[in-house]
Amino acid sequence: MDEMTLNGRTAEVRVDGLSLRYGATHALDDVDLTLEQGITGLLGPNGAGKTTLLSILATVGEPDAGRVSVFGLDPRQTAERVEIRRRLGYLPQELGYHRHFTVAAFLDYVAILKEITDRRRRAEEVARVLAAAGLETRARTRIRALSGGMRQRLGIAQALLGRPDLLVLDEPTAGLDPEQRLRFRELLSGLPGHPVIMLSTHQADDIAAICPHVVVLLQGRVHFTGTPAELAATAAGRVWAADDRDDRAHLAWRGGDNRWRHVGDAPPAGAELVAPTVEDGYLLLSHAAGSR
Amino acid sequence: MTSSFPGATGPAAGADGHAGEDLLAGYAAGTIPPAVVWSVEAHLMECAGCRSAMSAQVDAGRLARNRSVLMVRAALGDGSRARRLLCRCGLPDHLLRLLGATPSLRRSWLLSVLGVLAVVAAEAMAVRYGWVRSGPPGRLAGYRDAEVLAPFLLVAPLLVLAGVAAAFLPMFDPAFRLAVAAPFSGFTLLLVRSVCALAAALVPVVAATFVLPGPRWLPLALLLPSLALCALALAAATVLDPRAAAVTAGVLWAVPVLLLLATARGPLPIVQAHAQFACLAVLCACAVVLLARRDRFEQGWTR
Repeated sequence: MDEMTLNGRTAEVRVDGLSLRYGATHALDDVDLTLEQGITGLLGPNGAGKTTLLSILATVGEPDAGRVSVFGLDPRQTAERVEIRRRLGYLPQELGYHRHFTVAAFLDYVAILKEITDRRRRAEEVARVLAAAGLETRARTRIRALSGGMRQRLGIAQALLGRPDLLVLDEPTAGLDPEQRLRFRELLSGLPGHPVIMLSTHQADDIAAICPHVVVLLQGRVHFTGTPAELAATAAGRVWAADDRDDRAHLAWRGGDNRWRHVGDAPPAGAELVAPTVEDGYLLLSHAAGSR
Repeated sequence: MTSSFPGATGPAAGADGHAGEDLLAGYAAGTIPPAVVWSVEAHLMECAGCRSAMSAQVDAGRLARNRSVLMVRAALGDGSRARRLLCRCGLPDHLLRLLGATPSLRRSWLLSVLGVLAVVAAEAMAVRYGWVRSGPPGRLAGYRDAEVLAPFLLVAPLLVLAGVAAAFLPMFDPAFRLAVAAPFSGFTLLLVRSVCALAAALVPVVAATFVLPGPRWLPLALLLPSLALCALALAAATVLDPRAAAVTAGVLWAVPVLLLLATARGPLPIVQAHAQFACLAVLCACAVVLLARRDRFEQGWTR
């Protein structure tokens, strides 16, 4: 196995020059990434390539070009791909469920797919992830009777089966209410074993709250890697609040305080400079990428 | 009134004949021999004081986990009678659980298959025995009335193919992405589901042929074409899109049957000797292709 290093430390999951096209569209264009233990947030708009990237990391998709290494294993090799899958927990963006299954039966089914064939151990794992996802009282409930938020929690629970070393979560907070998102953040932060976690989201405040590292993906290319604070800092000196809207700004929207928030190069009349947030930095990057 | 601890002879037993703290701790941790466990349990059933002392030794977290596991096992149950029977016959429980996600093994699907078979078989019998007029009156001779078998011969192998297709087509498995991303062998999963779906569909098909007016060899004659069709669909799925593979296999059966009908030769040549040999050859060739290209099922069809 080819062991890659970064500053003298072994990189956990590494992507080099990843590219994939759907017809004339570059879903991914020469993407380079290194993921280490901890949570990395993948931020980008619809169609940016987030799902494509995550599906390749989860060994479900194959790139046209480039190289992926997961814990030193090459997913192009059959035996190594199986080994990666043994250490993987995956939540796809659109996870379907066998609606006739109960919650416990579905988790039992996924546990078997993860090669947990011993009945007692499966029951222990199912009980563990049910507790982690707050679904203990729903073990006997049919999936078709669950709300959207509960199905999402069920999706997160199945990804935790087998205590994976790599968690790939595509839009895990979609459909969760604020309390459930808070609980999800606590869950991820407290996972034993310090797995490598990559999750995609549209919610910049999820990134700010739980991701020590963030990657911004726009039009199939990586436009930023760093901490949330560094992403926010990219908008330093370019975010203003004013009572009235100024259309010269790149972006303007009315905030919760009923004032207009502007992101741009020139200050609107009567505006005051405010501290940038992760969302401001992301919006500025997105605007710059769109105008190229 | 409490009793002395029976068999309280070791150092762990209390001087008053009750279970000592070390003994209770060993019992709670599961580290004492079985014979001593029985003695402790017998004593605890009669001694409230020791039961109270016991509760202080129990790891509450472990107890909660055990309770959760028991609740999960109760929620899962042992499954249907069919599954329990197959389990007693030696089939692994985890494989039987996987079959629960196969749509063509569900009651609704099997009932639909029975319904379609009943309709085509009833139609054949109705025409053959003159219950329903269909052109010139049918003759009383047996397999010379082959035309009445046409709908059944057309539909029956397609029903078997549909059952197998439902076992491996991603469109019938809502969680197929999870199956692809999981370490469980995709090829094994496919085989287990397909073989079971095949068997579940073949049984009613073959049973229906016994009530049809036709040659005595008809029940056996449908086996090879059905197997060959399914093998063709699976082998083709290693090259084509799986839906296209299933449709192609179905068309390759339906077209000859319809052509034979159109040429007024009747549908029976499709299940006679030459066709049987052809089906056997197709079956063997497709089995070889399937084994050689089984890695395709490990990758999934997500592009």
